[in-house]
Amino acid sequence: MTRTKPKVAFFDFACCEGCQLQVANMGELLLDVLGLIEVVEFREVMSEKGPEKIDVAVVEGSITDKHAIERIKKIRDRAKVLIAYGSCATIGGVNGMKNNFKLDDIRKEVYGDRFNYFDTVETKAVHQVVKVDYFVNGCPVYIPEFVKVLKAALQGIPYEVPDHAVCVECKLNENVCMYDRGVACMGPVTRAGCNSWCINNGNICYGCRGMVSNPNENGAMDIIKKYNIPMDMVINKMNMYNKCREIDKREQKKR
Amino acid sequence: MKKLLLKDSKYEIKKSKIIKVTTLTDLEKFFEIELPGGDSLDHDPGQFVEVSILGVGEAPISVSSSPTKLGSFEMVVRKVGRFTSALHQLKEGDEIGIRGPFGKGFPVRILEGNDLVFVAAGLGIVPLRSLINFVIDNRRDFGKVSILLGCRTPQNMLFGDEVAEWTKRLDVNFSCTVDRADPDWKGNVGMITSLIPGVTLEPERTFAVIVGPPVMYKFVIAELLKKQIPERQILVSLERNMKCGLGKCGHCQINGLYCCQDGPVFSYDKIKGVPEAL
Amino acid sequence: MLYNLSQYVVLKKEDFNGFISDLVKEQKVVAPVAKGCGQFSFEEVKSGSEISIDYIPTILPPKKYFMPRDENIATYDLSNGEDMEPVVEYEKMLLFGVHTCDLAGIQCLNMVFSERPRDLNYLIRKNQITIIGYECNFYCDRFASCRLVHNHSPNGGYDLFFTDVGDRFMIHVNTNTGEELVAKSNLLRKAGEKDFEDLQRVREAKNREFAKNEIPIEHEKIPELFDRAYNSKVWEDLDKRCVACGNCTNVCPSCYCFNMIDEPNLDLKTGRRYRQWDSCQNESFAKVAGGESFRKERGARQRHRYYRKFKYPIAKFSRFFCTGCGRCSRTCMACINLKETLNSLIKEQGMENPEAGKV
Ligand SMILES: Cc1cc2nc3c(=O)[nH]c(=O)nc-3n(C[C@H](O)[C@H](O)[C@H](O)COP(=O)(O)OP(=O)(O)OC[C@H]3O[C@@H](n4cnc5c(N)ncnc54)[C@H](O)[C@@H]3O)c2cc1C
Ligand code: SF4
Ligand code: SF4
Ligand code: SF4
Ligand code: SF4
Ligand code: SF4
Ligand code: FES
Repeated sequence: MTRTKPKVAFFDFACCEGCQLQVANMGELLLDVLGLIEVVEFREVMSEKGPEKIDVAVVEGSITDKHAIERIKKIRDRAKVLIAYGSCATIGGVNGMKNNFKLDDIRKEVYGDRFNYFDTVETKAVHQVVKVDYFVNGCPVYIPEFVKVLKAALQGIPYEVPDHAVCVECKLNENVCMYDRGVACMGPVTRAGCNSWCINNGNICYGCRGMVSNPNENGAMDIIKKYNIPMDMVINKMNMYNKCREIDKREQKKR
Repeated sequence: MKKLLLKDSKYEIKKSKIIKVTTLTDLEKFFEIELPGGDSLDHDPGQFVEVSILGVGEAPISVSSSPTKLGSFEMVVRKVGRFTSALHQLKEGDEIGIRGPFGKGFPVRILEGNDLVFVAAGLGIVPLRSLINFVIDNRRDFGKVSILLGCRTPQNMLFGDEVAEWTKRLDVNFSCTVDRADPDWKGNVGMITSLIPGVTLEPERTFAVIVGPPVMYKFVIAELLKKQIPERQILVSLERNMKCGLGKCGHCQINGLYCCQDGPVFSYDKIKGVPEAL
Repeated sequence: MLYNLSQYVVLKKEDFNGFISDLVKEQKVVAPVAKGCGQFSFEEVKSGSEISIDYIPTILPPKKYFMPRDENIATYDLSNGEDMEPVVEYEKMLLFGVHTCDLAGIQCLNMVFSERPRDLNYLIRKNQITIIGYECNFYCDRFASCRLVHNHSPNGGYDLFFTDVGDRFMIHVNTNTGEELVAKSNLLRKAGEKDFEDLQRVREAKNREFAKNEIPIEHEKIPELFDRAYNSKVWEDLDKRCVACGNCTNVCPSCYCFNMIDEPNLDLKTGRRYRQWDSCQNESFAKVAGGESFRKERGARQRHRYYRKFKYPIAKFSRFFCTGCGRCSRTCMACINLKETLNSLIKEQGMENPEAGKV
């Protein structure tokens, strides 16, 4: 059976583009993946006038202004499948830290006195604006997981981000726990799926993949206190990636 | 690392064929499956199979047809996630893998000669249909038969044609209730428990068989106990997460019991002291 | 205790490295090595000097060789429909330096996987692994509770068993496989009366070290404790503290829950089906379609873990599945400690016996 290769396009919104770099760094795996798909140039897709559909839209970055909202809605209309790619897209990521401040303050900070000319909306993860079919969490994404998601998309079946802790993978990899080194680690409340690669490489888990669905936040705080790790450092770490969770929580309450 | 083909692996699948697919509702599809060579599955009503789509995974699915049906067996699958979505994409003529049957089904030998009350709600009718049709096909061997059926709305009712047959039979007492009626609905509206007080039965010779969503069991059992049906004559089929069907993976455990091997059918006296069961 | 001298051989400590080097020539040898921060793991070694013989229980127990964390159970090829080939992957190896608690852990797994329906993947692999045990003359650390569950001294489960008796090891030869290893080595000699006396002395000292149960309850009373403690407040306390990281189960030598996963290759035509360790502490472990979870609270999951060690296996296998290795307590960043949990349960149920198990 010869199948026409699915058309895949990459789009980026507010983000560091570190995730796209990850794709470029894929090396040999990239070649194999490219055998599976046809990558359509993003400019190409947007300049074509017709309502031509793309099979898979891979969206990076979070939604931070009205223009972005319009743009992501258009992409959604044209894509059969939409993959939110990287923490900025899936959980708001580092951009979510904006929500810690009053919006006006940010505009003042960024645009100085002319802040009133620029509009900015609360930072949102992509699924907070349009329907997302697949999530690839992480900052940057973990490429083997992206490949897994891509396969699921091509098989036409859902991919579920694991809902257990990074610790699970970390233990399977038999790492010495960061807490035994006297360092705080976000592993216990962060969603697995990255094969604990940070810890495998001697770093702590920063929680870049977002929290598990039912985290024991008080328990986690107790642990951190027990190990004499300064509290604000931890809250900063959590905020760094998880601020947009508050929007999800708010939405849940409304429902 | 050496690799060896493993004969007699408990994970071996039988390459089987989908010979019929019917869409029942938005979420549920009916599948008729033929094993290699037209072999019969040789199951007891209430048992389940592990259905496999290579590259996607496996899921435990109840056999919905009676063992009296030969040459193929039937199942009904609700689309809820990864495996079930993939199964819903398959068409007649496509292949799937089958392991099993697994578990302890309904004790049909023990049921013989007794009166039977079937209580089915939601998807519960799917496994129970296997037993109901078995009983109907061997009607002479059983006493009085009552079927109590509950569904969310009249549109959610599965096997409408067969249900219509049951209602017509003189040797079956049938009643049905829906949570939400539509203007055409002439039957009962309300919880399935509301049907039980109306059933006349001789408790010492009655077996009650309940299958439905987990929340339902406690309430139905309470009603049946009020009717003086002995605890060991109340049978339930429990659903748990299952990965192996072999009593190993631990997912289906209910305290010390393994739902996949010790169940899924249990009598109430065996599980009433088991805190995680109901 | 009865010793049959003919079953013992002796290895001088200065010959230890030579002994290991001889083993390495024959097969893959796996032994405890230091990982830093006072942690150890079983790894392949090429020489005796890599081995940390005075180790405390490794991060992961030897179960990682008996039921690998990812274990292929089939490969498939969809070119002609749903074609699957069940496979078993195994490797001949020798496990050196297994403590008695971990020998017990392997015995637990043996029981589980040889219970019908038998698991051939496990049973085939297990027969390829030679085991050399190593006696603890002293406690590994404060987390151990091997005495309570009678695993501080050997109860079989090995081919050879090493005991440090000063300047040499007394080695018990338990199986034919063990005998063959002995026959191949020219560094071993038959044990004599003096060696036997030294072993006796070491064991007596050990009896003083492991004088009574680490936890004030009789071995025989533990099932009753758990019969009574199902609705204990202790589980509520664990509910507040546990973060469900799953470490306590992944490191446990007698936890064997798994998940089954299909992984297609990039061609989407071929691929594998494999088992991967799973944990009853994980959020989705007992969830079914519709979102209902049968062990929603973390406290209930912790309780399940304890009952799977101290109650359910008694009915099935007549033994405790806690080996007393202490790994769960060592690894828990929330400091949930098995000994403390048992202590609280015992106190709550008024079942304390401070002299329990005293010899
Ligand atoms: C004995 C038994 C008989 C069953 N009979 C039928 C039947 O006749 N028809 C039918 O439609 N369904 C039946 N089920 C339920 C069916 O097995 C699950 O819906 C299916 O496994 C979900 O797989 P999925 O990959 O589509 O969902 P997933 O993508 O895996 O997940 C969707 C949801 O289902 C849950 N889930 C995952 N695996 C299982 C599992 N093995 N069992 C239950 N829930 C699970 C997940 O936690 C999640 O909440 C039965 C289950 C059991 C245990
Ligand atoms: S290092 Fe971090 S992720 Fe790993 S076990 Fe420890 S806390 Fe969990
Ligand atoms: S270990 Fe933590 S920080 Fe690192 S990739 Fe995984 S989730 Fe992100
Ligand atoms: S290791 Fe501790 S925190 Fe983690 S699941 Fe076990 S008891 Fe809970
Ligand atoms: S429960 Fe804890 S102490 Fe007992 S065997 Fe498991 S890890 Fe070791
Ligand atoms: S728990 Fe006991 S047997 Fe195991 S290593 Fe520690 S002292 Fe030795
Ligand atoms: S399904 Fe694996 S133990 Fe029951």
